[in-house]
Amino acid sequence: MNLIRVAALAQKEWREILRDRLFFSLSFVVPALLMLLFGYGLSLDVENIPFAIHDLDRTPQSRDYAYRFIHSRYFDFKGYVTGEAQAQQLLGQGSVRAVIVIDRNFGRELSADRPAHVQTLLDGTFPYRTQVTKGYITAINTAVTRELLADYMVRVKGLSPSRAQDAVDPVRLEVRYLYNQGLKSSWGVASKLIMALLLMCPPFLTALGVVREKESGAIYNIYASNATRAEFLVGKLNPYFCIAFINAMVLWAMACFLFGAPFKGSATAFLFATVLYVLCSTGIGLLISILVGSQVAAMIVTAVVTAMPSMLYSGLLTPVASMNWTARGVAAVFPAMYYGRIIESCFLKGLGWGNAWGDMLVLAGYGAGLFAVGYAMFHKRGKT
Amino acid sequence: MEAAGFVKRYGKVEAVRGLDLAVAQGELFGLIGPDGAGKSSLLKAVAGVLSYEGGEVRVFGLPVTTEAGAEAAKAHLGFMPQGLGRNLYGDLSIEENIDFFAKLRLVPAADLRERKERLLGMTRLDRFRARPMKQLSGGMKQKLGLVCTLIHAPRLILLDEPTTGVDPVSRRDFWTILHELLSEGGVTALISTAYMDEASRFDRVALLYQGRALAVGPAREVAAGTPGVVLRIRPEVVGPGEIRVASSVGLSADRGGLAAAEEPGAQASSVSSAATVPRAFEAPDALELLGARYASVRGLGREVRVFVPGAADEGAATAALHALLGGAGIGFSITGREAADLEDVFVCKVAPHHADAPGGTGGPGGTDTPATSDTPELSGLDWTRDGGAPITPIISGASGEPARQADEAQGLAIHARGLIRDFGSFRAVDNVSFSVKPGEIFGLLGANGAGKTTVIKMLTGILSPTGGAGSVAGADMLRGGRAIKERIGYMSQAFSLYTDLTVAENLRLYAGVYGLNRRLAAERVVWAIKLAGLAGRENALTASLPMGLSQRLALCCALLHRPRILFLDEPTSGVDPLGRRLFWDILRRLSRRAGVAVLITTHYMSEAEYCDHLALMYAGRVVADATPEAMKAALLADAGPMLEVDVDDPHRAVAALRAAGFAEAALHGGSVHAQAGPGEARERGAAVAAALVAAGVNVRAVAQTPLSMEDVFVHRVLALEAEEAGAKGARA
Amino acid sequence: MSAASLDGILGSGRAARLRIWLRRAWALTVKEYIQLFRDTVLVLFMAYAFTLDVYVAGVGVNWQLNNAGLGVHDADKSTASREVAGRFRAPYFRNLGSVATREAGQRLLDQGGLMVVLDFPPDFGADILRGRQTAIQMQVDTANSAIGSLATSYGGEIVGRYGLERALNVPELNVDKIHGVPFIIDETRAWYNQNQEDSWFMALAEIISNMTLLSILLPAAALAREKERGTVEQLMVSPLSPVQILAPKILAMGSVILAGLAAGVFAVVIGVFHVPARGSLLLFFAVSALYIAFTAGIGLLIATIARNLAQVGMLTVLVFAPMIFLSGAWTPPEAMPSWMRLLMDCLPMHYMLDAGFGILLKGQGVGELWRELLGIIGLGAPILALSLWRFRRQFR
Repeated sequence: MNLIRVAALAQKEWREILRDRLFFSLSFVVPALLMLLFGYGLSLDVENIPFAIHDLDRTPQSRDYAYRFIHSRYFDFKGYVTGEAQAQQLLGQGSVRAVIVIDRNFGRELSADRPAHVQTLLDGTFPYRTQVTKGYITAINTAVTRELLADYMVRVKGLSPSRAQDAVDPVRLEVRYLYNQGLKSSWGVASKLIMALLLMCPPFLTALGVVREKESGAIYNIYASNATRAEFLVGKLNPYFCIAFINAMVLWAMACFLFGAPFKGSATAFLFATVLYVLCSTGIGLLISILVGSQVAAMIVTAVVTAMPSMLYSGLLTPVASMNWTARGVAAVFPAMYYGRIIESCFLKGLGWGNAWGDMLVLAGYGAGLFAVGYAMFHKRGKT
Repeated sequence: MEAAGFVKRYGKVEAVRGLDLAVAQGELFGLIGPDGAGKSSLLKAVAGVLSYEGGEVRVFGLPVTTEAGAEAAKAHLGFMPQGLGRNLYGDLSIEENIDFFAKLRLVPAADLRERKERLLGMTRLDRFRARPMKQLSGGMKQKLGLVCTLIHAPRLILLDEPTTGVDPVSRRDFWTILHELLSEGGVTALISTAYMDEASRFDRVALLYQGRALAVGPAREVAAGTPGVVLRIRPEVVGPGEIRVASSVGLSADRGGLAAAEEPGAQASSVSSAATVPRAFEAPDALELLGARYASVRGLGREVRVFVPGAADEGAATAALHALLGGAGIGFSITGREAADLEDVFVCKVAPHHADAPGGTGGPGGTDTPATSDTPELSGLDWTRDGGAPITPIISGASGEPARQADEAQGLAIHARGLIRDFGSFRAVDNVSFSVKPGEIFGLLGANGAGKTTVIKMLTGILSPTGGAGSVAGADMLRGGRAIKERIGYMSQAFSLYTDLTVAENLRLYAGVYGLNRRLAAERVVWAIKLAGLAGRENALTASLPMGLSQRLALCCALLHRPRILFLDEPTSGVDPLGRRLFWDILRRLSRRAGVAVLITTHYMSEAEYCDHLALMYAGRVVADATPEAMKAALLADAGPMLEVDVDDPHRAVAALRAAGFAEAALHGGSVHAQAGPGEARERGAAVAAALVAAGVNVRAVAQTPLSMEDVFVHRVLALEAEEAGAKGARA
Repeated sequence: MSAASLDGILGSGRAARLRIWLRRAWALTVKEYIQLFRDTVLVLFMAYAFTLDVYVAGVGVNWQLNNAGLGVHDADKSTASREVAGRFRAPYFRNLGSVATREAGQRLLDQGGLMVVLDFPPDFGADILRGRQTAIQMQVDTANSAIGSLATSYGGEIVGRYGLERALNVPELNVDKIHGVPFIIDETRAWYNQNQEDSWFMALAEIISNMTLLSILLPAAALAREKERGTVEQLMVSPLSPVQILAPKILAMGSVILAGLAAGVFAVVIGVFHVPARGSLLLFFAVSALYIAFTAGIGLLIATIARNLAQVGMLTVLVFAPMIFLSGAWTPPEAMPSWMRLLMDCLPMHYMLDAGFGILLKGQGVGELWRELLGIIGLGAPILALSLWRFRRQFR
């Protein structure tokens, strides 16, 4: 490995990148812009669920009950509906996600200390949303039931109000949200976005690097010189690695300072893991570039192989642990999962080296593997 | 460098079949041959960037058989791949490109500084060192490529077609620089070229054909290896009636719809009297006849240059020509005799390989033939059109007022009036005016970057002019875009074909693009495949075709809709002589038989000779607009005769002549060509000889040699450059 | 031959002109098809994107709380504590056993071995028996907030239910057996996807995402390649209008994408996951065709902006990533801030998703989809027009 040659190759690459103004600016703007957009926009905290109420009862009791939902911050009341058909139409349009149907005898039954019926119609298209909505509704219903029961016990069984309160709610669940106290997903999302965006953007930077020179013929300068394959790969990767690493730092800063994600863990561990991860993600692009024959194919392969999985299988939206084995297999093929775990422990869990070394080892091996395959597949003395 | 039994296969195709070649140290060795002969394969293999299937290649005694083996030799090698500046980095400046190559080759900083200054100075690139490569002209790119290849002082340099696509002045410049660099000693050079006339610049050449070496040796010896006589003749026609006979002999009959009155010959006879037979119709017919018999025939304006192989002397050759042309009623006078050059020899050597039945009647060159041969079938080019504006083949180049008025009445094919195009503050085309008549081949010449392509782009409607007007095919250039596009054919350098489509698919595409119905499209595609000489290769990917064939295919694509006007932008760049000749056969027929006007740009000055009319562009302006003959005559009057000086030390002779004021003195094979200055040939010859003797050069002979278009081009452009430099100096 | 000449054909009226127009466009369409299918790598990856990728996404990616690792720190070890802990079970939770100390629990949470730790106080059982309110501590790893909140929600439900059973003093809360007390009995029905199959949602979202990606990228790359190689100049010199040059690209790539979509829908979405296809499949493909055509307009617009394929790549990421994230394919619109939802209303893919779910799951017809159709056309048409305008301007 001759450093002068590596430097020459890297410098040339730098100059070309710097002079393609649009490309150069996009290489920084795209990740930052996406971070901004997703950091604010990408959230799984389902709130303000639009819903409607179909009150068949129209008694004070039913109205009281309805107000429990109308005043909840989780729900966004869109109005009363007058019939089944309208409910169906609103759900179909997606203008409400839930319709609460209060039974005709709701008030009468409750007044008679009998169970009252309500029915909840949910838009089931997006199961996650449906589950969360259902959870909110159940929680509100449980709360209402407790109040009714407590009131009943005071009236009928003569318990004191506080005793009644204890009796209907004997076990409280005190939830401690670890790592993310406010249950604000923008924290979790912002830190995980570093991982996803670093798998989405850098491969596109490198994907055309080699195949472009193959198409133009400039690759012959390398073929015909004494520059070794390793020198070429390292020199080629250098600027893209630097750009991607700067991007990683920018994204990190955005996550911490803009989105307030707490960085509690070891900075050196994070830095080291980031170096490895960026090497892997730029390496994937470079490997594609070495393997394919045309720029168009390089683009499509990169898009299909990295852009989609970086979001879907990286654990950004749904944890890898809850995937089935097929998807887990796919996830294991990408470096994102490993880096994601490191990010999690460095950001939210406040841990460091001791916790992350295993994943780092995997990343290092991954990077080395990419490099080895690239090295083996890149020939200075081709067949055509 | 030596190669023994070298074999290279691409898939099942054997590109090189057992080549043996040895190049001695310090030698300047040329690889000459058509496309697909194996030149590039050999160069790449020597450079260690291409694996091969058989034999062995050794460089400085080191075997280049494995990737590791190749590495050992690479430190001493400089390799410049084919393609104008394609291995350079467009966004990097001249200096940055050089620095990159130097660092890649681990050149110490001090050496780099010194070498860079010297090379930049020699190539006169030093003024532009901060300019990005992509903004350089073709000639400058090539010089930069050379500098980058030489920056690490390699002991063996490999250049793959370094002068393809470069204008004659830059080409001459390139060779001068290369000679200077190599004369410093020790460096071996292996260079491939598609220009036969460059063969004389090598110490030794190898004629490659179909992966084998046909001949190896000094260019002169190789040329002398095939006996024969080159004659320049001027055909003279006995009467118009006989012309018609001649034309129908040369051609197989076209489809029946052709009205006899529209035959060019008939037209000629009805318009002109026998006394003023237009030359446009005499030389081609003689050409066709000669072309049908002899492999190496070149039309030079009114004259025809023909190589009669096997003829012992001038008498025998003349007799043979008489026998051939006399039968068709064509008489001729002999205007000159020349030595056979490499192109003659090459074409003759190759022709037998090509054809099973030499001297057939269907095609020219005795090369017509089996279905798989790449010989075009020219019949069917004699279309004429009905409907629309009457474009009948008319007489071009005729002098005299009545003829000119007739031309105007019939309409010009192209008429540019004061075209201007600015790119930002740079004026690429400055007030360009010219006109092209139907049936005329109009050559647009100029150095790289003179504005030729921009003019064509404006006329074809891809680029809107900043100023000026024009009409194309009878429609206004600014408003009649659509109508113009229906009537023209366009072919740009190598970009018109989709390389991932097959031959037939490309043709079908363009048939559809030009709106031909299914029956007609199928018919024309068959026709075009025959015309392109691609029968049997319909399903080959275009990317796999050699340059010459793909260019011919591109031309055929542009002909499918039978356009009235053809725009050809460097259509033959990188095509070997044989391919170029076949290409021009098609063009000539098109113009003569179908009355198609052809606007063509080229860097091959031998092709400029074929044009009816030329316009020379310089820095966006048209600086000369005349027939080739008129241009030569003007040069003769202006700068005197061209002398060929046979000396014992050509390099020193060139230097001496330049020092003595013969600025354009240049190496030409083993001898020196010098523009002698205005005056009588003998007297100027004496002056040249005196200058040489004074410099201590031994002069063996001085002879006048005919002026070529290349001489005209080089002289005009150098004069203009000097003028410009002078003007700049005066301003400063 | 004279009758066959172009001028002759052109002479005969409007119908003939149209025929020639179509013939020209068709010739270019055929060219695009050939080029597309000749690139084996490309075809393979397209096939992958529409079938295998959709399958993996549908079968593997999961929004449910599935077997979340649970640890129990039980300082009480009473029947009650065991009873409550036992209720944290499959499919949501998986009890991985007890942890000796809180610190051990914390460590396991840190390492990611556990997601939830339940902490029972020492006199948990006694308090329950005495009717005194007591509390369980539940530590949840909410690094992934979606799953974290689901775990919390289910935990609350389990404990709440247990509490009500204690209060009513019944061994099991069976709504049919509750009498004589005021009580809200809620019956929940999830429409359109009764069994809450994640695969229905994921498969459809994935196939529409891939369709969008390819609809942008293929035309963009094809046009950018022609620009880089210079072949587009040849086309401009031919008697072709910009529409004739661009429309074949949309037609060829679009039809191939549509074919891929059809294969994916029939083989995977319906074939493997049994998505019911309640509405008209014909309508679904018609809307998809419309969507593909307009999305291709985005690709063409990118190609008119970019000078080389590298720029095409970056611009595609810039456009595609927000589309896929913010259109509702992966995150519910209800989770977005309001300004983001305005942005979402500007994404054609959002309307396509709604239309796709609407037709296949909800069984909607044109009458109910007017908003989606308006969105697809209203957003797509101007983009297509803009790309056409830019293309025309670039080559004039």
